[in-house]
Amino acid sequence: MANSLRLYLTCIRNTLEAAMCLQNFPCQEVERHNKPEVELKTSPELLLKPILICRNEAEKCLIETSINSLRISLKVKQADELENILTKKFLRFLSMRAEAFQVLRRKPVQGYDLSFLITNYHCEEMQKHKLIDFIVQFMEDIDKEISELKMSVNTRGRLVAAEFLKQFI
Amino acid sequence: MAAVAVHQFAPCITCHAWSPDRSMVAFCPNNSEVHIYKLSEDKWEQAHILQKHDQIVSGIDWSSRANRIVTVSHDRNSYVWNYEGSEWVPTLVILRLNRAALCVQWSPQENKFAVGSGAKTVCICYYEQENNWWVSKLIRKRHNSSVTSVAWHPNNILLATTSTDGKCRVFSTFIKGVDTRDSKAGSSSDSKFGEQILQLDLSFSWAFGVNWSPSGNTLAYVGHSSTIYFVDDVGPSPLAQNVAFRDLPLRDVLFISEKVVIGVGFDCNPMVFAADESGMWSFVRFLGERKTSSTGPKYGSQFSEAFGKLYGQSKHGINNDGVDNSRQRGGVHENCITCIVPLGEAGSSTITRFSTSGLDGKVVIWDLESQQDLLEYL
Repeated sequence: MANSLRLYLTCIRNTLEAAMCLQNFPCQEVERHNKPEVELKTSPELLLKPILICRNEAEKCLIETSINSLRISLKVKQADELENILTKKFLRFLSMRAEAFQVLRRKPVQGYDLSFLITNYHCEEMQKHKLIDFIVQFMEDIDKEISELKMSVNTRGRLVAAEFLKQFI
Repeated sequence: MAAVAVHQFAPCITCHAWSPDRSMVAFCPNNSEVHIYKLSEDKWEQAHILQKHDQIVSGIDWSSRANRIVTVSHDRNSYVWNYEGSEWVPTLVILRLNRAALCVQWSPQENKFAVGSGAKTVCICYYEQENNWWVSKLIRKRHNSSVTSVAWHPNNILLATTSTDGKCRVFSTFIKGVDTRDSKAGSSSDSKFGEQILQLDLSFSWAFGVNWSPSGNTLAYVGHSSTIYFVDDVGPSPLAQNVAFRDLPLRDVLFISEKVVIGVGFDCNPMVFAADESGMWSFVRFLGERKTSSTGPKYGSQFSEAFGKLYGQSKHGINNDGVDNSRQRGGVHENCITCIVPLGEAGSSTITRFSTSGLDGKVVIWDLESQQDLLEYL
């Protein structure tokens, strides 16, 4: 793992560790409701300052915290158009299966590629350090996965082109 | 070891309370029920289930003299349970709240109880003999956000509250006909019901647990910015001290003597704070032993590993993949500790036993008798 990536991920891990102090908190505005405050944003005093962690312009991570929920939004590196389309398709594939992930948000926050929403209920039934590990592992793997996809697209493209051009020999 | 008994009662516990003789424990297993377990021949057995609420129970308090239980819930209601025959009989308390109730505590004389709520109000409830009814009086328009915790001063009049607007307030709760004007209570008993004695604006973030020292001279509360606040001379000119620490924020505090405070919270391990001769408070140490995880870094290879993490292991973490893991917090408790209850004799000024419960569903009893270095501070 590149050194700068490691620093980036360590920074995110430490931030998440401090930010993931969530508790059950019923809605102050609507009777008998209990909703993630970070999504509703009805009471400003229940939100903390959002934290933006950037590795470079293309790769950043926004962590928004409230009293009972936490939103992590990722922007994944997209160097060229191929990577762009691969990322889009791949993350769309994941987002459509958000239920299976439990903490994945169906729609990313505007300006980001992928968002996670962690509520106090997730912290109650899962271990906090495992949740953090999952997020960090996810970020670590997604770059790898995209470049692998890119490589296989290129290999396949080359093979197809070679096969196609054979008939002209 | 400071933890003398660990009981796993449920997957998740929001709050717990002990019966006067400590033979029974009442807790909420993170749903609308209250379970009461009884100790019989070294085994805890389920004795009663109190079912009346229809949302999660957020506070339980068991009065030590009258053997009454008061419960409050996010469904905006409160019940006082009396033990009659072999059943717990509920009495509905009309709190006149339109938002969730968050915390509850009996007053020291047990003729009143205080309920903090998400409606930015505090209810003081007292029993009206002629109507056979618990009446609620509200302190309105003082809090700018939800009231997260309440604590009674030993004089039965003053009530401290903490709120998510970051402030700690002290109110007079003198109710005519319930409290008597008493010269011992000093100037605090002259004020009217609902009068704000003090507002402390020390924290930049939400304030949670609050507690008075046994004599009522010192007040402690915690902020979400990993800080604990100690206030002496509660009155017109309070003396405040902030103690910041490097670990995760606390959720609740308990004075075990005039000089020692235990704080519990997201670090999953009780923290001990003590005052020296000059009255300066400082962090002493963690009470439980820390679990040290020894896993070296290993690079993950496939995406499926992340899938596997979420599905297979993250819930009940048996850690065998060893990928550069974050540190597991705590020792005896494995998740945030939300509640700390004293287990001392009523009236004594120092407590050496107390119990904690957390989101990991454990109730842990701690004893300081074996902790020589801490006993010196008491």
